Amino acid sequence: MEKLAYEKPTINKIDFAMASKYGSPIHTQKIRTEIDGVSVNELTEKFGSPIFVFSERKMEELYNNLYSAFSSRYPDVQFGWSYKTNYLNEICKVFHRLGSCAEVVSEFEYQKARALGIEGKDIIFNGPYKPYEDLKIAVQEGAKIHVDNLFELDDLEKIATELDIVIPLAIRINMDIGVYPQWSRFGFNYENGDAYEAIERMYKSKKMKLVGIHSHIGTFMLDANAYRNATTIIMQLKEQVERDFNSEIAYIDLGGGFASKSNLKGIYQSTDVIIPTPDDYAEAITNVIYDLNKSENLPKLYLETGRALIDEAGYLLTSVHGYKRFPDGKKGYILDAGVNLLYTSTWYNFNIETDKHYEGENEPSLLNGPLCMNIDIIEENISLPPLHRGTVLSISPVGAYNYTQAMQFIRYKPAAVLIDKEGKARCIKEVDDLATVNYKEL
Amino acid sequence: MTKQANLIVSILKPYSSLLFLNNKYVGLVLLLITFTNPSVAISGIFSIFFTILFAELIEFKESYLVQGFYIYNSLLVGMGVGFLFSPSFLSIALIAIASAFTFMLSFMLNRLFSIYKIPILSLPFSIVTMFIYLASLKYSNLLSSLINNAIAYDIDLPLIISGFLKSLGTIFFLPSNIAGFMILMLVLSFSRILFVMALSGYYFGITLHSYFIGSFEQALYDPYAFNYILVAVALCGIFLLPTLKNFFLSLIGVAISVLLTDAIAILFNYYSIPVFTLPFNITVIVFIFILSITYYRGFNLEIKETPEASLSNYLSTVFRFGGTHLKLSLPFSGEWSVYQAFDDEWTHKGEYKYAYDFVKKKEGRTYVNEGLYAKDYYCFGESVLAPVSGYIVAARHDLVDNIIGEVDRVNNWGNYIIIKSDSGFFVEISHLMQYSLVHKVGDYVECNTIMAKCGNSGYSPEPHIHIQTQYLGVLGGFTQEFCFSEYIQERQLLFNCVPQKGEIIAAVIKDRSISSCLHFILDDVFEYEVYENDVYKSDVEFTVKMNNYSQFYLQDSEGNELYFYNDAKQFYFYNYKGKESHLKWLFKLAPRIPFVSSHKLSFVDILPIYLLKTKIQSALIEFLATLNQNIYKQERQYSFDGESISSKDGKVSLQAAHKGLTLISYNAIQLRRKL
Repeated sequence: MEKLAYEKPTINKIDFAMASKYGSPIHTQKIRTEIDGVSVNELTEKFGSPIFVFSERKMEELYNNLYSAFSSRYPDVQFGWSYKTNYLNEICKVFHRLGSCAEVVSEFEYQKARALGIEGKDIIFNGPYKPYEDLKIAVQEGAKIHVDNLFELDDLEKIATELDIVIPLAIRINMDIGVYPQWSRFGFNYENGDAYEAIERMYKSKKMKLVGIHSHIGTFMLDANAYRNATTIIMQLKEQVERDFNSEIAYIDLGGGFASKSNLKGIYQSTDVIIPTPDDYAEAITNVIYDLNKSENLPKLYLETGRALIDEAGYLLTSVHGYKRFPDGKKGYILDAGVNLLYTSTWYNFNIETDKHYEGENEPSLLNGPLCMNIDIIEENISLPPLHRGTVLSISPVGAYNYTQAMQFIRYKPAAVLIDKEGKARCIKEVDDLATVNYKEL
Repeated sequence: MTKQANLIVSILKPYSSLLFLNNKYVGLVLLLITFTNPSVAISGIFSIFFTILFAELIEFKESYLVQGFYIYNSLLVGMGVGFLFSPSFLSIALIAIASAFTFMLSFMLNRLFSIYKIPILSLPFSIVTMFIYLASLKYSNLLSSLINNAIAYDIDLPLIISGFLKSLGTIFFLPSNIAGFMILMLVLSFSRILFVMALSGYYFGITLHSYFIGSFEQALYDPYAFNYILVAVALCGIFLLPTLKNFFLSLIGVAISVLLTDAIAILFNYYSIPVFTLPFNITVIVFIFILSITYYRGFNLEIKETPEASLSNYLSTVFRFGGTHLKLSLPFSGEWSVYQAFDDEWTHKGEYKYAYDFVKKKEGRTYVNEGLYAKDYYCFGESVLAPVSGYIVAARHDLVDNIIGEVDRVNNWGNYIIIKSDSGFFVEISHLMQYSLVHKVGDYVECNTIMAKCGNSGYSPEPHIHIQTQYLGVLGGFTQEFCFSEYIQERQLLFNCVPQKGEIIAAVIKDRSISSCLHFILDDVFEYEVYENDVYKSDVEFTVKMNNYSQFYLQDSEGNELYFYNDAKQFYFYNYKGKESHLKWLFKLAPRIPFVSSHKLSFVDILPIYLLKTKIQSALIEFLATLNQNIYKQERQYSFDGESISSKDGKVSLQAAHKGLTLISYNAIQLRRKL
């Protein structure tokens, strides 16, 4: 039998407020030994620590669940993979293989999609900032351009004149759907008539025509009704435009913002209780389209879901580097991953799991990152058993935004691993080194 | 229909009613056959004439008369008088009086009997003739026209055959083997089942009777043996379905009628009243009374023109539409697994055995990690969808979701919803998540609407959906058997089935883009260009029409009719009237179109036999189906991908948001929609 490690005795105040009907939190431990059958210890040993791990199986499951909720109700649904959520090439490829087109918000993302072999017509080009030259390339390659502002409209008119074509466009609109704060920074406002004026302007110039209407009402939307309201407005505008300009709006785009099962800070109910199901979103949107569609054809429905398709498929494995006891008695662990890799820790409470069962009682602990910064705290007060040096912690869900927003700051950007459907782990991005960081420095 | 045509139908229908057939041509032939005894024929016509006249006098609704329903008893009475007295002023006056009385008696008895769903048969006739014969004993003036029917128009045949034919003729007061033979041929040409039942009933009754009285010959001479024929036919073919079981049931009926005939004859002979159809009436009415009240399975709920047609209709309903089971859609979307089925090992027992439990499974497990928390279970928090359209009549959602492994023994049902379906039965769904209800009591929900989330409240060791149907809208009502109207299993779309324990099934969510294509409205016209081997041939158009029974159909210019129906989850054709046509092919090519898209699915449908086989083959199959119903089950494989439905015969396509079918193709023929 392995000799038990010595643990220095401490006195802890027992916080009875933390006890619930589920029993005392002193003995419950959240344990994750493996991801899709691959041991977490094996992963850190083989690929290093910290490391991002993505499960292809889970991605496919999330995609199919959401897609079938829509496709079983509506005949023409197209998902666009939101690049900014996670644009690791292999991750994008998984979603493209599943049938997604690309949704990009910058020239860089556009180029990334093109480099992955996605044709212009299968790229939705969104965002408030589209540089002129890149916009021109996108127009030439037939990308779906979603106009955000009047300056962009000017640019597009100029491009149309230069190329002597009529550019098919979609317009991004924002509206009051009863959810606040209202996302009014992007696109043209519906209620004050900006959206309609912009469309009028397109048709008057005779250089542009409207083929799509897009809105993105927010992120982590906890009320499916918001989509009902947004779809209602889009369908109303669609009918108005089709009637006034004798045209046909071929598609509508409801954007994304579907909530994933992550714990938003400040929400105390279980995610299962509070988060709408794929069915909720699908029913809300498709019913409105059916009810309000006045044209002969049903519009194609685009969705640019990111978070809901990847968040739960991503884990960050990090190891305990050391620990100390603070003067107030709290235990502090130093991990090899910090807020530099967990951009979303500001808004979400993560699910933090240990790699095995640890002896001893839980005590309030603090999880520090490796940065020499006072703000580098992943968890301020988490109940954990005594962990050892080298203990691997799994932090999830971190599939969305964390990798793309992870900073090269103080330490190198870590590697990423994809576990394929057969349960085989494969490195899809190596850990950076000095050369990567110095690459463009002169 | 013009008034004259109506009148002719009213005259002819009663004749065919006497043979339980509903066909004016049969009526015409029978009318002609009655002329083998002109007195019977003329008296019969007079009785119909007087009945209609009387009905007109009291402003009786025409539609009642067309069915011939209230007239055939008068006809029998008239023929009965004609059988006794040759037509004279007095006898005709007697017919007039008796007709009016019989008509009223028929109507009255029918009103009374219909409460118990029993037919009046020829009971009014039995009663009225009894009175006439009794009264006529005193009417010496009528005696002059009394006729002796003993020596009728007969040909020489062995008694064993002649006896049967005479009995058959006697039903029409024509106790001659010639008339009997003609009627028999008519029966044979119309219904083989009636033919066989007439023979079986007669010879079984005669044989039994002969054992009792000790003389076969005497039994054959019995003038009332036709009762056996009527009982046999009525109990196996007309009121009950022509099946092997009912065949034996009808023989029991015949045996009872043997007894009754003798008993009544002894009593009636005392007053010189003929027994006529009284034994038949008593026997059949008693049988039907009990069988209808106990919901006997072999009961013929929809009496068609012939027993064959009734059987065919019944089998189509059972094989295609799952018979009379209560039908539900699945209460979820996506793929789920059956945790407990009907009559299962844990809680689905006794009066509560007709229930289903569903869970979500991945790689054989219902949860992730160790399954210690409700949220680890795949189905926890999934949407619960309305399985029927109806009103929510009761609901609760204040109970907490249990810790895994614990159950709430006080509130067994946990959080629940009870819906009263549009069809009248109740559906109860249990163990919902706390505070997850989207609707409230009194709300109307369409099938497939999201109602709540799957939870773990009540007597639930782990999160699951429990569903059952009840005839009462109270919590804990006894369960009733039901089936799921449609679900997908291994890419096969199944209709009206019940999944087995452990099976993984997926729900069908209504795709409104398909249902809206098939939302046909009265007078919609669909025009097609017909091509043969890609060469344009002609134009054809189908128009949506409705008949007097509110049944919708597509009609082409030649008057062929293809009947269709739209239910919550599918569009289907169910009847075709007419000759060979594109419409008939359409029935074969797309007998049903489920409102489900984005899946390549296959399904099996069972078509009515007349669509697939020649008349003679159909007749043979329909006859043999009485012995083995599976002979009728002609399965055909179809595949559907949301845009077209294809089979070995051809293909029918539709296009989202375009009403109607865009392409119908079979063999070398293509019908292309003109848009």
